[in-house]
Amino acid sequence: MRLVTQRLARQLVLVPLVAVASYFLMASLPLTTETDAKRQVSKELAASYQRDLGIGEPLGFMRPWQKLFRGERLGTSAQGITGDELLLKLSGSVGVGLMALPLALAWALGFALLRTRWRRGKWATLGDVVPAVAFGTPVFIPALLLAPSVVERGNMLPELCAALCTSVWPGIFLGTLVGDSLETELSRDYVRTALGKGLTYGTVLRRHVLPNVWPAMLDAVGPVATSLLAGSFAAERVFGLPYFGQLYVLAVLNKQVAVVVVATTTFASLLVLVSLAVEVLRYAVDPRSREATT
Amino acid sequence: MSRVPSRARFGLALLIGLGVLSLVAGRLFPEALASTCPLGMDPTRPDRTVCELAFGGLWVSLAVGLAAGALSTLIGLAVAAVARLSGGTVEQALLRAVDAVFALPDVLVVMVLQLAGQSLSDAGAGGGLGPFGLMVASLALVGWAGPARMFRNRLATLESQEYVAAARALGGGGVHLLRVHLWPALRPFALAVFLSRLPAAILTESTVSFFGIARMEPMSLGRYLGTSYAALIYEGGGRVVLPAWALLVLLVLGASLASQALSAAPRRAA
Repeated sequence: MRLVTQRLARQLVLVPLVAVASYFLMASLPLTTETDAKRQVSKELAASYQRDLGIGEPLGFMRPWQKLFRGERLGTSAQGITGDELLLKLSGSVGVGLMALPLALAWALGFALLRTRWRRGKWATLGDVVPAVAFGTPVFIPALLLAPSVVERGNMLPELCAALCTSVWPGIFLGTLVGDSLETELSRDYVRTALGKGLTYGTVLRRHVLPNVWPAMLDAVGPVATSLLAGSFAAERVFGLPYFGQLYVLAVLNKQVAVVVVATTTFASLLVLVSLAVEVLRYAVDPRSREATT
Repeated sequence: MSRVPSRARFGLALLIGLGVLSLVAGRLFPEALASTCPLGMDPTRPDRTVCELAFGGLWVSLAVGLAAGALSTLIGLAVAAVARLSGGTVEQALLRAVDAVFALPDVLVVMVLQLAGQSLSDAGAGGGLGPFGLMVASLALVGWAGPARMFRNRLATLESQEYVAAARALGGGGVHLLRVHLWPALRPFALAVFLSRLPAAILTESTVSFFGIARMEPMSLGRYLGTSYAALIYEGGGRVVLPAWALLVLLVLGASLASQALSAAPRRAA
């Protein structure tokens, strides 16, 4: 149990680390100067920069969070954000991510099965080419190809298309890992013994092989979740979805630094939550992880 | 060269071919490409053909990827060497730092670093880094964690070999072991790590440039698509997007094949 607690603590420490690092990076930016000619941002933005980040105040790094929890607006009136709006936008992005997750699993399963079949035949090279093609396809490329149908004609759900575009690479990545793991497990003696005792292939797969493949899948969930959430930034931009990714990109483009600090920390917290969930799930489904930690 | 796996040779040939093609077609003789381009003019820049912009963008993307990949590999190697030479608490602290950098997505951190770097440059405190240098530095700052972990693990494996134990028993110090005994065995792996960073750096740069955050001039592939994405959406951008996509895929395919084959070769040999 001590090891699990240690791992959880290591994950959790990332949140204050990101909060403090992003705050001090943003607070040290030379965005405001005394002379109007040299100032990089508008007067309103410069004022919000000093006000929102509490520059020069003791415990100034707490200021963006205080404002957020009090329901006050961070950033300028036109492009700023309140805590409720941030949560709403975050839930939109998480929704897209949750739609992308089953699609990624479908890609993974399909690719893992095809890869196992290809490996025995003349299509073996495809097993290496498909992941390279998927990896070499940034999310904005399929989004740009789909966008004319979605944005112009509006005959498809933009959220679904965003999820579809976002899910390709994580799905293929997961499929590669699962395929490799599946192939290793299928070649083991216990599978041959179970088949020899008369169990059907499906039963062997369900009862014996899949429980041994779960750990490999769980190891990949963290990177997959990161890819899905980070990929949604580009998809939201192309499909014009007003969620967290769009908020983040616009905050960086418009130098809304307080929003950048809060959004970066929120994103890190979300990733930490996913990691914590994976740790708990691993503890529940993988007996080896329980044995290793007792 | 005969010891280099055929897949690695194919991947390297693909990369070199793309590099030469982008240099010749995109930079040295763009007019030849302009007169023969079958894809027509760019919808937002009527004086330039799609081929000119795609191959010009490929050259910039490749240059950014090579520089950022090399720098992040060097930083990773240095961090791993320091970790192994120091051992104990320092090594654990460095590994925790690696985990922390690894946890956040590259695109997000590069966006923040670009914002910081551009603000410093605008205030005249950018240390002479232009958009290209700033992008390379940002990518290297987020990309060193992966190589550091890979090098650290490989060094730990190599250190357990008998010849290293013998050298240590004969009085060889940590730096001597690293320079004389470990580095020769690590060299092919370093090339594989560098090649694995290359596509990651190119794709991160493409995405950040697509958002319009990086001010890459001349335009990289991502910035090229990003500057005209509104036009691509409303006019149907297949003939513009597909060539850029194909070039990115070929680039990643070349780097991935070479990297996988080179990193697998020492394992097979062992």
